Amino acid sequence: MSIQEHYRSRAKELLSSGTVKMVIGYGTGSTPDRRRPVFITSPDETDRLVLDKACRTNLSGYLLREGLLSDQKQVAVFFNLDGVRSLNILAAESQLETAQVLVLGFRIEGEEVTALQGERAADFKSLIAAAKEQRKSQPPHELQEKLEAMTPKERFSFWEAEFSRCIKCYACRQACPMCWCRRCVVDNNQPQWVNTSSHTLGNLEWNLLRAFHLAGRCVECGNCSRACPADIPLHLLNRRMSDEVQGSFDHYPGMDEAQEPVLASFRKDDPETFIL
Amino acid sequence: MTAHNTTSGENIYRPAVMNIVATRDEAPGVRTMRLEFQDPLELEKFKQAYRTGMFGLYGIYGEGESTFCVASPETRNDYIECTFRKSGRVTAALASAEIGDLMTFRGPYGNRFPIEEFHGKNLLFIAGGIALPPTRSVIWSCLDQRDKFGKITIVYGARTVADLVYKQELEEWEKRDDVELVLTVDPGGETPDWKHRVGFVPTILEEAAPAAGNCVAVLCGPPIMIKFTLASLKKLGFEEENVYTTLENRMKCGIGKCGRCNVGSVYVCKEGPVFTAAEVSAMPQADL
Amino acid sequence: MATLLYSASLNDCIARWREDGLMVFGPSTAGGVSGFREVEDAGSLDLDLVLTRSTLKELFFPRTEPMLGYRIGKQQIETEEFIPPEGRRIIFGVRPCDAAGMQVDDALFDWDYHDAYWFRRRDSSVIFSIACTHSDAFCMCTSLGLAPDSTKGSDVLLRPLAAGNGWKVEALTERGENALSSISSLLKEGGDAPAPLTDVPVKFDLEACRRWLADPENFESRFWKEISERCIGCGSCTYLCPTCHCFDIQDEGDTYQGVRRKNWDSCSFSLFTMHTSGHNPRATQSARWRQRIMHKFNYFSLKFNVNSCTGCGRCTRECPVDMGVTETLQAISTLQR
Repeated sequence: MSIQEHYRSRAKELLSSGTVKMVIGYGTGSTPDRRRPVFITSPDETDRLVLDKACRTNLSGYLLREGLLSDQKQVAVFFNLDGVRSLNILAAESQLETAQVLVLGFRIEGEEVTALQGERAADFKSLIAAAKEQRKSQPPHELQEKLEAMTPKERFSFWEAEFSRCIKCYACRQACPMCWCRRCVVDNNQPQWVNTSSHTLGNLEWNLLRAFHLAGRCVECGNCSRACPADIPLHLLNRRMSDEVQGSFDHYPGMDEAQEPVLASFRKDDPETFIL
Repeated sequence: MTAHNTTSGENIYRPAVMNIVATRDEAPGVRTMRLEFQDPLELEKFKQAYRTGMFGLYGIYGEGESTFCVASPETRNDYIECTFRKSGRVTAALASAEIGDLMTFRGPYGNRFPIEEFHGKNLLFIAGGIALPPTRSVIWSCLDQRDKFGKITIVYGARTVADLVYKQELEEWEKRDDVELVLTVDPGGETPDWKHRVGFVPTILEEAAPAAGNCVAVLCGPPIMIKFTLASLKKLGFEEENVYTTLENRMKCGIGKCGRCNVGSVYVCKEGPVFTAAEVSAMPQADL
Repeated sequence: MATLLYSASLNDCIARWREDGLMVFGPSTAGGVSGFREVEDAGSLDLDLVLTRSTLKELFFPRTEPMLGYRIGKQQIETEEFIPPEGRRIIFGVRPCDAAGMQVDDALFDWDYHDAYWFRRRDSSVIFSIACTHSDAFCMCTSLGLAPDSTKGSDVLLRPLAAGNGWKVEALTERGENALSSISSLLKEGGDAPAPLTDVPVKFDLEACRRWLADPENFESRFWKEISERCIGCGSCTYLCPTCHCFDIQDEGDTYQGVRRKNWDSCSFSLFTMHTSGHNPRATQSARWRQRIMHKFNYFSLKFNVNSCTGCGRCTRECPVDMGVTETLQAISTLQR
């Protein structure tokens, strides 16, 4: 049985037994190479589910839809490992209870899509631990290497040029599973912390601010870069922040739901001596 | 295409500069300001254009503009009065402005109350809380030509006694024998010496039971009050065509461009803010 | 015999226009993203694109635009008006759907109040559209009553030649004729065959959709929630739409001096309609998507007698969750009783 068939029948089972009230997964899109999020509530509709290497969107953000989890019922969601990590962070940040989420886990490696063992967030602990080790030895992205080699001035010009294309549509924020604030700082006007205008300064302020808010929280799922209509390589910024956080604090976000947020917790052995 | 309100060289986003000549604190967080045009040409333009019911965008450069009605009547058009509650960035700045300070006004915009059509009729004004200002503008427009109208009844309610606005004017209207004033506060909002009614506006209105025949009602208030008061007016026999109200949607431009005040195909900024209850009923209710 | 412009002469045309003091804009790609930019030569133009990522509207209605500068004195406020310069512009290589979009917004920006910021740029621009010989899966102009060679909103229409070496040129307006006359020596007469236009299939029955949308019974249909369930509420469909025109007005600076700006805004954002009291007439994403569809295909056409969509398909093409006008209207077509 293909992984798609396997999960279709599992979804059918979960829905018909009443174990979950909804399955959030992927369906066919408007062109053959596109996939789109689907919300299945009837066991008769599980044939709409698709699982293949084009299923890249991290769906965890949909769990925070107003009212979805307020009835204590369970929802099943298709997740790759990044998705499970974002689920852990959302739980750590008190946005949901993992007990309400059933994971239909998968991994995409090249052309191959395989199922992950387990259905509860905690079941993936050892896989995430392995991913953490792998992350350490992962070679930097080609463009990232180029950026690291630049002088600060050159690097600033690079990002200035990238951000100049930003149209402030906030697709990055809306697509980000970690951007769960009810009212984003950019939408506050008393005081107006960030310029809302899409000019050089406003764009720089917005994108840098978002990168900082994601430091130690980003699971590098890539939703932001895929959503950006201006093709700004936002993931590079987040990746750089993640490198920093992992290097300085050995912190890999989303290990489990008990993990403390690295930039919001305090330790006596903090490498930043100025804190003490 | 409709006739232009502007010449092509004119900048429709440039406001007029206003002097703040008087301020009055009405209720906690609620303030009235009287403004005069700095430029006599702008005053002339305003006098030509302003009719009771229209609104404007009141601004402080550096903070922005905020939309509210012109609370002074067309019969007194050499100044502008506005009444607002301190609630957002712009109103907070306006609330800390003082006499002698400068601010801006863009307008007047929108439609008007068809006051000539009210001639010879009885008038019933109903307002709740901070929504007295738009009603007050019509009330004074009518009182300033009192002989053209029949009986005038004003029903005004607020949450508490402290929340009643235009207290001096309420006293003045109470003293007049050509106006019937019914004041009420919500249960629990009364003070020991409160000698008026206690109860919600719709209930008090039904008790006062003004006759619907040959009567026009002007109703302004928060959405929930409007909803229940419309039901009461219906019970009293008022036809929706004879009930006028105002919609106060969020606006940025005030002139039909920025796209946020629409309810269905209606641009509140241009086709409103004054509507009959019948017109409001025809709008998609879920978008109100 | 028709008037022809061969690709080989385009560079000279651009040079001629520039010598005459005109700025020349056209589709070009920077940082991997295509849009309309000022060009100095034909080599910088990307004329083979089906469509640019960003739309023509940016040249008339920038993402952010300074409107007024202010300086507050003790007894006076000085303002400076940043009405855009009247510099004349040739915009070469526009697609007919984008050009048609500008005409849609002319109606809005001229409605009672004439918006000088929009029209100063409109009046000083000449739009050279190129009929489409290529399209992609998202194109849908024919569903909107337009076509790959629509002339709406264009001053000059260029029809590609079958040989791929130029265009058959047709002036549509006086402005277009004037722009052509300054390059008349570079135009040739000839009977070269035009290339066949691309075939854009009709994807939905617009009139059937409009009937459904106009029926008040459908306003609170479950359809709206179902069709928009995956919408994440970003503004990309509105910002990449040639006709979406909503904006915000924002002051930048302090209460002594600064600039008042007109910034793009989007009906997709929850704060767009939020009252200061906290009441929000369009509190849910489905209400906001409904507004967008109703506004484009019902309200706008009632007011201005034109649909606020020209079928460019960018909404779907760029949507992070693969939504868009096409899917919604296709679904509505099938809902017809």
